[in-house]
Amino acid sequence: MSRLARQSGEVIDRSQPLSFSWNGKPCTAYAGDTIASALAAAGVRVMSRSFKYHRPRGILTASFLDPGCVLQVDDEPNVRAGHRLVTGGIQVSSQNTWPSLKYDLKAINQLAGRFLSAGFYYKTFIKPQRLWPAYERVLQRFVNAGEISPGTSAEGYDKRYAHPDVLVAGGGPAGLAAAIAAAEDGAQVLLVEEEHQLGGHLRWGSQDDLDLLAELRDRVAQLDTIEVMTDATVLGRYDDNWISVVQRSVPGNGLGPKERLVKARAKALVVAAGLIERPYVFQGSDLPGVMLSTAVRRLVNLYAVRPGTRAVVLTANAEGDAVVGDLRRAGVDVVHVEDARRGGDVLRASGRGQVRQVDLANGKTVQCDLFVTATGWTAPTSLLNMAGDQPTYDPTAARFVPNVNALSDGVFATGGLCGDGTAEQLVEHGSATGRAAAREARAFTLAFADVPTRPDDARTLPQPGDPVDVPALEPARHREMFVSQTHGFVDFSEDVTTKDIKQAVAEGYDSVELAKRYTTATMGTVQGKLELMNTIAAHARATGKSIADTGTTTWRPPYAPVSLGALAGRIFEPVRHSPMQEWHDRHNGQPMVAGAWIRPDHYGDAQAEARNVRENVGVIDVTPIGKLDLRGPDVPKLLEQLYVNKWQRLDVGRVRYGVMCADDGVVLDDGVTGRLAEDHYLMSTTSSGAGGVWEWVENWLQTEHPEWRVHVTPVTTTYASMNVAGPKSRQLLERLVDGVDLSTDAFPYMHVRTGTVAGVPDCVLWRIGFTGELSYELHVPAGYGLHVWEQLFAHGKDLGIRPFGMEAQRVLRLEKGHFIVGQDTDGLTKAFTAGIDWAIKLDKPDFAGLPELRWQAAAGEYPMLVAVQTEEPSVVPTEASQLVDGNRIVGRITSSRMSPTLNRSVCLAQVESRLAEPGTRLTVLLPDGNRIPARVHTHHAHVDPEGERQRA
Amino acid sequence: MPDTTGNYTGPPPVARSPITTVAAGRGDGALTLTDESSYGKLLVRAAATGPMATALGTRFGRTSRDAGDEALVVGSGPGEWLLLADVAELPKLTEWLEQQAEADPDLVSIVDATHGRAMMRLTGHAAADVLAKLCAVDLSDTFVPDGGAFRSSVTKLVTDVVRDDAGGASTGDRPSYLLHCERSSGQYLWEAVADAGLEYGLTTTAAPT
Repeated sequence: MSRLARQSGEVIDRSQPLSFSWNGKPCTAYAGDTIASALAAAGVRVMSRSFKYHRPRGILTASFLDPGCVLQVDDEPNVRAGHRLVTGGIQVSSQNTWPSLKYDLKAINQLAGRFLSAGFYYKTFIKPQRLWPAYERVLQRFVNAGEISPGTSAEGYDKRYAHPDVLVAGGGPAGLAAAIAAAEDGAQVLLVEEEHQLGGHLRWGSQDDLDLLAELRDRVAQLDTIEVMTDATVLGRYDDNWISVVQRSVPGNGLGPKERLVKARAKALVVAAGLIERPYVFQGSDLPGVMLSTAVRRLVNLYAVRPGTRAVVLTANAEGDAVVGDLRRAGVDVVHVEDARRGGDVLRASGRGQVRQVDLANGKTVQCDLFVTATGWTAPTSLLNMAGDQPTYDPTAARFVPNVNALSDGVFATGGLCGDGTAEQLVEHGSATGRAAAREARAFTLAFADVPTRPDDARTLPQPGDPVDVPALEPARHREMFVSQTHGFVDFSEDVTTKDIKQAVAEGYDSVELAKRYTTATMGTVQGKLELMNTIAAHARATGKSIADTGTTTWRPPYAPVSLGALAGRIFEPVRHSPMQEWHDRHNGQPMVAGAWIRPDHYGDAQAEARNVRENVGVIDVTPIGKLDLRGPDVPKLLEQLYVNKWQRLDVGRVRYGVMCADDGVVLDDGVTGRLAEDHYLMSTTSSGAGGVWEWVENWLQTEHPEWRVHVTPVTTTYASMNVAGPKSRQLLERLVDGVDLSTDAFPYMHVRTGTVAGVPDCVLWRIGFTGELSYELHVPAGYGLHVWEQLFAHGKDLGIRPFGMEAQRVLRLEKGHFIVGQDTDGLTKAFTAGIDWAIKLDKPDFAGLPELRWQAAAGEYPMLVAVQTEEPSVVPTEASQLVDGNRIVGRITSSRMSPTLNRSVCLAQVESRLAEPGTRLTVLLPDGNRIPARVHTHHAHVDPEGERQRA
Repeated sequence: MPDTTGNYTGPPPVARSPITTVAAGRGDGALTLTDESSYGKLLVRAAATGPMATALGTRFGRTSRDAGDEALVVGSGPGEWLLLADVAELPKLTEWLEQQAEADPDLVSIVDATHGRAMMRLTGHAAADVLAKLCAVDLSDTFVPDGGAFRSSVTKLVTDVVRDDAGGASTGDRPSYLLHCERSSGQYLWEAVADAGLEYGLTTTAAPT
């Protein structure tokens, strides 16, 4: 092959030569060349080896669908070389060939072909099963899928949403006309075209076709309500015209992504997918040099490549006739034209490495290096099938055609998919269809005229308009040509032959759906676009049924292969930070992930941090604690309903601890609620439970008791929250707090005050203590959080202040015996199990979980949360270690840590009630299998059970 | 306002934005992302059709500038409003709201959320294109014209989106969107929007001091 003189429709830019490598050798191209066209221009005929038999393969379609042009480009495998444009410096190579493309040793599979027929894998590797790992290692060496480096960047993939009125799938003459008409009718249009240019078959047509194309392109360019996406494919159509599109290249300034998945919600979909030329099945049909007529026309007209020197053409339609003209104009010697409309046919093509001669059905043999077939079309109806249509087979046209008058609402079809005609007829059909789609889109929009985001005085939305008469577009008559008299490849991607189909039927796979799976026909890289009709025809021949009775396999999304990167798109993982995060980062705060929050786990030595709280003063960032602002006269009713304990009598300035249960009595959350003013409360929740509790509260207010006058506002991050804990905490705060008397008498334990901290007014101070120490929880307007935090440290140096993280807090609370919801409780832990009998008021008229808790109390015999100490103080049982009685599980350790205060291990555990008495001896089964003795402690609190420290 | 009298003798308080890291702007200014977290923010809850609703002058899904001086009232939910104003205006605005509340027989609550929310403004011709990478809602003029407001998932984060072209007046008639989210995720949202806007030449601007 070689480059021709300038062609009127060529898409290459001869002023921009490019260099790349092919299997390590230098190669040249022009901007606009596909990899396949550049290789063809360089005289390369064999571009790959086939999947199973490693037969040499070359250009068949010169398009995205070309099964012989699936190559490795740099680090990217399975690149469609018939579609991917050359860029300077790329390294292109064939896949899975060894030692070389030309001398591929795996081609020995051809000799074993009779043993590699349908079901080979299933039959050969099923037994003995123990050898499967060995089989797998061998089979993996034969996978024809290229290579990917573990270091491949995951960057560059993106997604976006789109809401066009009309989405047109296909930018051929009908699609272009539909887009123009829809836009001129007032619609916002998204026009999606798989090729790099708009125009479809007009691109390689006559001068009249090119003139028409120029006019259509010009009209598209002038309509700013048409968004054009080339090098993009509609992957699927889902309910309500939810349509996925992959953009394989995104125009822009280089800052855009490599690929982008577009999630479009179109009000109307116009499918203008055109027709796909299908190969003809005969012996040797896969030889390099055997091409479809459209491949030749692309090569000649778009890329100015002479595809051979001596050609034979088998034609059954006008495209085949046209290719003869193209070839002659390109200087190719067309030595024979076999007209299938007059009964002409081919038996086989043969040659070593590429086609050398063709044997015709009439017994004649013709020498050639190019054999062109034009034997029919497949209508790619998949998007219509996904929309519920079931195209019917038209034997006079030799293809399936959609039921265009019975498509789903908002779905239209136009162009070659529907029928055949001149370019002008296709444009006329497309225009009418586009107008109809625009009007249906307007009708759809009208139904949403009252969305709240539109102003009350918004202009009236336009009416749909009169119905549009869409002219008929009937398929042209065409001879049925699928499978010749000789056996050949039905599926080039999977190396499936007519013999395989015949064998599958003989083995009982008389359904084409089953035969497809058994033989893998239509399941390769081209996914049936080229092979489906021939597979059906071969199956029908084997079963003796008609094609119509055989039916099709199911078209499912995605229509075309899509990279996993594009499917993943831009990945969003929200994170949350407190206002003091930058301080934690500067002070060795070791981050831990707690839901979406990033929190400091420790600052280097959690045990020392805990000791310092017991001895001096420590500060922990507790901003993630959930906080709900409750306002209204009926807040006490709400609290009574939510918590297991009583709330009607909570004075202003008081704080109370409460536990919430779900309807099944299982502990849902816990926290404290303080009364800030007559009708104003502040509720705290666990950090992880903040969102759930808010929903729970709103559920009670909105659905159970809408008559209650209560407003709830989540204010978790309105406040930066910090707990100042330790015997010197009061001394520290006296240096910073104004407007609040911090003395024990004036501000006792379980009380709340509001005041100024470090010059910041409107701070909320709670005297509570999860750590069991004298402590104050400060809730500071969040913008000032870092200021207050820094001033605590600035004013607390002489008091030994240091920060403490989550780990130290867990140690301190465990020493004190405070449970953590979700750690010491689980999805089955009812309130009595949690050891809060003192708080559960079964005499209340109602609260969430009351009936279940009454039943639990009456039934008894429930697990109980107890404090446990191992007899060997240095052993810290792993959390979730089992407590066993012989071989029976009688409980589990829920929390365990080494206590720096007691210098021994301390635990909480859930045990059977009979084992809950203080002093009961337990056996802990450690993960290493050892069993150690432990005893139930006298009180949940291992440290300061009387609470003297926190009340100081 | 901060109080520096009494026991405390340290430096005066300084409020900080939740958006602490603002990458240098790289665009030509045609598309901008600006930190507006420092705005005062009041959340008002009241009956959807009562006297307070009338005083605020707008409803769920729409904005108004009729209440108070320079305040933008956003109908952020059924019976729920977000008032945005210069933080210095909040006392006056709060007083006005409390007066309106007294005339409303239904429960009215006013919560200062100034510190609890992050807010940023995305302005420019490509603003909707940037948001289309982050949010599934149709932002066309038909469904979200100027003054439209909704709450949705933006970058998988609950975000109030307010189209407020007038607020971006210095940049002409280009669409301008306020994005308003819970404070702790402000930096995350900022970075996600800035990254999505790179291909459109987004310029980022730190909060005014």
